[in-house]
Amino acid sequence: MKHPQLLFKNRIPGETVFFDGYRKSGGYEGLEKTIKSMSPAEVTELVKASGLCGRGGAGFPTGTKWSFFPSDQPGPKYLVCNCDEMEPGTYKDGVLLRTDPHQLIEGMIITAYALQTPEAYVFIRYAYEDCAQNLERAVAEAKEAGYLGKDILGSGFSCEIHVHRSAGRYICGEETALLSGLEGRRPNPRLKPPFPAVRGLFDRPTTVNNVETLANIQHIVTGGADWFKSLALTEEGAGTKLFGLSGHLEKTECFELPLGVTLDEIVNEHGGGVRGGKKFKACLPGGASTPYLAANHLDVPLDFTAITRAGSRLGTAGVTVFDEETCMVAVTLNLIRFFARESCGWCTPCRDGLPYVAWLLEQFEQGEATEEHLENLRGQFRNIAGRSFCALAEGAMGPVEGLFNCFEEELVDHIKKGRCPFK
Amino acid sequence: MVTLTIDNQSITVPKGTTVLDAAEKLGIVVPHFCYHEALGAVGACRLCAVYIETEQSKGVQMSCLVEAAEGMVVNTLEPTAVELRQHVIEWLMTNHPHDCPVCDEGGECQLQDMTIAGGQSIRRYRGKKRTYSNQELGPFIEQEMNRCIQCYRCVRTYRDYFGGTDFGVMGSRNRVFFGRFEPGRLESPFSGNLADVCPTGVFTDKTYRFKSRYWDLQEAESICPHCSLGCATIPGGRYRELQRVRSGTSKEVNGHFICDRGRFGYGYVNHPDRLRVPRINGEECDRHEALAAINDKIEKLGGEAVGFLGSSRTALETNAMIKSWAEQSGSKSVCFECHPQRDNAARSWVALRGDRGRSLADIRRSDFILLLGSDPLNEAPMLAAAIRQAESSGSQVAVIDARPVKLPFKAAHLVVRPEKLSTIIRALKSGAFDNFERHEQLFFEGVLKSIKKAERPILVGGGDLLQAEGVAALCELMAQLPEAGGDFVHLSGPNSYGAAMLSGAAPDFETILDDIITGKIRALVCVESDPFADYPDRKRLQEALSKLEFLVVADYINGPAAAKADIFLPTAAPAESAGTYINCEGRMQRFKPVLKPGEPLRITGDGGHPPRRFSHETPGDQPRSAAEFIANLVGQPVTINDLRQQIAADDDRFSGLDQPEQGMLCRANGELPTTVNREDVPGKGDDLLHLLPVADLFGSGPLLSYCSALDAVRSAPCVVLSESDAASIGVANGENVSLQTAEGKLAVEVRIDAKALPGLVLIPQTGADAFLPGGVMIPCSIRKNGARDE
Repeated sequence: MKHPQLLFKNRIPGETVFFDGYRKSGGYEGLEKTIKSMSPAEVTELVKASGLCGRGGAGFPTGTKWSFFPSDQPGPKYLVCNCDEMEPGTYKDGVLLRTDPHQLIEGMIITAYALQTPEAYVFIRYAYEDCAQNLERAVAEAKEAGYLGKDILGSGFSCEIHVHRSAGRYICGEETALLSGLEGRRPNPRLKPPFPAVRGLFDRPTTVNNVETLANIQHIVTGGADWFKSLALTEEGAGTKLFGLSGHLEKTECFELPLGVTLDEIVNEHGGGVRGGKKFKACLPGGASTPYLAANHLDVPLDFTAITRAGSRLGTAGVTVFDEETCMVAVTLNLIRFFARESCGWCTPCRDGLPYVAWLLEQFEQGEATEEHLENLRGQFRNIAGRSFCALAEGAMGPVEGLFNCFEEELVDHIKKGRCPFK
Repeated sequence: MVTLTIDNQSITVPKGTTVLDAAEKLGIVVPHFCYHEALGAVGACRLCAVYIETEQSKGVQMSCLVEAAEGMVVNTLEPTAVELRQHVIEWLMTNHPHDCPVCDEGGECQLQDMTIAGGQSIRRYRGKKRTYSNQELGPFIEQEMNRCIQCYRCVRTYRDYFGGTDFGVMGSRNRVFFGRFEPGRLESPFSGNLADVCPTGVFTDKTYRFKSRYWDLQEAESICPHCSLGCATIPGGRYRELQRVRSGTSKEVNGHFICDRGRFGYGYVNHPDRLRVPRINGEECDRHEALAAINDKIEKLGGEAVGFLGSSRTALETNAMIKSWAEQSGSKSVCFECHPQRDNAARSWVALRGDRGRSLADIRRSDFILLLGSDPLNEAPMLAAAIRQAESSGSQVAVIDARPVKLPFKAAHLVVRPEKLSTIIRALKSGAFDNFERHEQLFFEGVLKSIKKAERPILVGGGDLLQAEGVAALCELMAQLPEAGGDFVHLSGPNSYGAAMLSGAAPDFETILDDIITGKIRALVCVESDPFADYPDRKRLQEALSKLEFLVVADYINGPAAAKADIFLPTAAPAESAGTYINCEGRMQRFKPVLKPGEPLRITGDGGHPPRRFSHETPGDQPRSAAEFIANLVGQPVTINDLRQQIAADDDRFSGLDQPEQGMLCRANGELPTTVNREDVPGKGDDLLHLLPVADLFGSGPLLSYCSALDAVRSAPCVVLSESDAASIGVANGENVSLQTAEGKLAVEVRIDAKALPGLVLIPQTGADAFLPGGVMIPCSIRKNGARDE
């Protein structure tokens, strides 16, 4: 099935669209419209009405987040774009910036206007050097065209965008850790409250949004809130979503699909089915920190709300598929090792609890686990999930939760057989 | 105030109190690691979990992060909270080595206590433990990173609280490392606090390593004798040896921390050269024999011919005994500080300060601080820490000083000649800056503007550089500050303030010296004071000494006076006796005896384990508290409490001295010293160089040169020169020069400082080689080494 394309409408595989191409496709019309005919508050209201939810993983309504921002407070304020895309199985922001970087720039300028922030930063991980260069070129082009810099389009509103390359750690994707990192400190998450909207970057009001979220803004401005909402296939969803496919599929690519598309359509139509004609066993529907969906979930529509009823989260919509021959204990162990390695080391459940969980899963994989280990694992899950300082360990417990929800008999099987049944 | 219920007990606490603190007030200890009263809550360890049953913040919460609210119901024993605490302990113990039997922290280890309190007693994790290589961090702090439980207290203390920059956290996940970028001595003068804040044995006191178990230590509350701030300390000793000092807690003074000078400067008590037996003409004798000889001599000479000298490092009780001894013998020549400038600065402060003296706690809360002739890091380190707390919560700091004052925070700095300080303070009062240069005028205008804007400005002065005149000017300027503003002047010794109170308007040591030179005074009794170390004009002292018939010295350090004494009495060190110091803000604070005097027992491990001979006497137990010696001499056997009652009854400014409460403020008196400044700044010629001895962190003060633990950190003797003076002498940074003054000659290294003033040569008192006690400026000349003498 062919779906309407917004973010990928200029997509030509292997090529990047810059200023001329972007203008030709209607680029910067949203900005012109905003600056000429809308007040900052109207932009926020429009985004609120559009139902746009944050595309970085948490899915918080963007307009609501903006409405907490003290845009009339005097003094420096900041908009920060989170491009520390490091969730395993997630690569959509990278694809977007390799395809059409001006979308982000235009979205950021409109957002900066809505929030009245004269300074904006793109926090981009070092591995995305090509994207950073694309952005720098886009910033320069936008500046030259008068869409960025001092007194944009004669409106009196000025905005600067800085591209900041980070050293790149998973924790930098956590917004307060990102702000610490951007300030040149250790990227440890900060205590909330105060929230970034009150005390963020350099202790000033700050809003942090994901690349894809910001790239949607000018489409909402030009198309309107109702149109944007209607793009989704479900009542609760709004807009399209970039789905990055990976794992045991025939086609592992990034697709722009409407929110509410079923898992079945993603796997069997866009993904071309499970590799080698094998059966679908499970998937991570939204990156490594989301609980698994199993074969009985194939009819679940993937939007932010419907998926929670199935016991998982949409996350970043990086869909990683596992075939029938995969040991889900081994998958979970692999993921936990990643999270344990990426812990910043601040709080105990994450720093020391995750390696503990990894050790327990190793016992299962090595065939040395007993009933006590299973009980222990349950206890670890209970006391890490929701008990850590930031969402990293919480996310790490996603796969463990999925393991208990969908594949507990696999754990028991490891104990009974005294070995990994898939080896 | 809000009332909440914790474990079915109700308590009312001020708004803003955390649930953890509220529980502690009820005697319910919620286990915790990362929370520390001075460092605040950061929510990292996740150990202080409790269950909150009421709607607002219902569920398992970190009690250090939740504010107590009206009607809140807290359950610390709810199973899910208990389970989380067990898990946190289990996680922390996965990597912690079970080396308690060989760990110095054993017995005072928070991890041991919290592991018991956490209720997780079985080890389920069988995996490998993480290990680290340790760093060599210098002579004070031993690191054993394998024991680390990552509470981040060390880095929050070292960096966030004290502003240190050479220590931090590196790496991530369960491999975070707390240390330096590369091995080396910790640079912060507050590094010792790592040993106190570390809840386990990662950072321990190296000077105390393998010496004692906590439960074997004799400890007592005490007051630090190394400067005038009066920080609370808890010295600990065993086998008649003072083995370490840790920080006490005093809300109004030092809070929870002390500086490295106070912590590691305890060796003078155990010094091997300490004289422990009374001597007559160098011959050891019995205590009673010596006392009788002193009495005989004073009787023979007549009291009027005897001068009595107490000191600012001697307890108030001892100084008061000296005073009554002098009175009883009919002497009018009694003085409590042999450094006249310091004496007069202290007396001036005591006499002229209003009732708006401020404490270190006030300084931590201040919103503008003006430092006048004060170099906190070298003179009174915890003052620098206090100012840093104000600065990091937004206070501005300005410094007017002759020295290139280095501070662990940002401050505006104006360098001026020391003799100009009083004039400047008076100009700040009048607002007339016509006689100053443009950059000075701008600076002063900025200062006045900041004072005007501030709600709680504080003037901080240093008695040494301001001297009596500057202190008086500072007191006058203070009167113009807003109501909540105030002043703070640090003096030289731990009891300078008390000594100045006792002195009142009595003559200073110069007058006593005059009388010795003219022959009016023929005997001098020095009690825990050493003019040969502390009086600034050595020639004059030598002249006086040659006329002196009889010198009595009673002291616990073997200073230059002891060698010259006709009769020497060994006294008990502060750690071996009880007493009271009055700190520079007038706070009476008691110290208690930790040990009884005696030769430290040394266990060598080579089979020579003492004692092999049994005796009913303790070797080296002859030192007595100086107050006790004097009481014996004047024939009134008194206990320290009787003495305190007597002092309080005699002088109502000391009322409260006999009360057990610590830290009462005593009233200042209104008497000014009658002395005149004998010498103005010598030789005002523009082309002359002046030598200004300046305080040094580990070098200043009469006791520090007897502390061997500090040998490794003492800076090499040097002179600090301005760029222009260095150029005209023709020396480069690091070159050796010969420094010549009327006092003598010294070969030292040159340090060029861009902030130093031309014409002024600074010599840090780095210990044995600093041949001046400080507090005065003298002319000097500097010659490049190798240049021919004129």
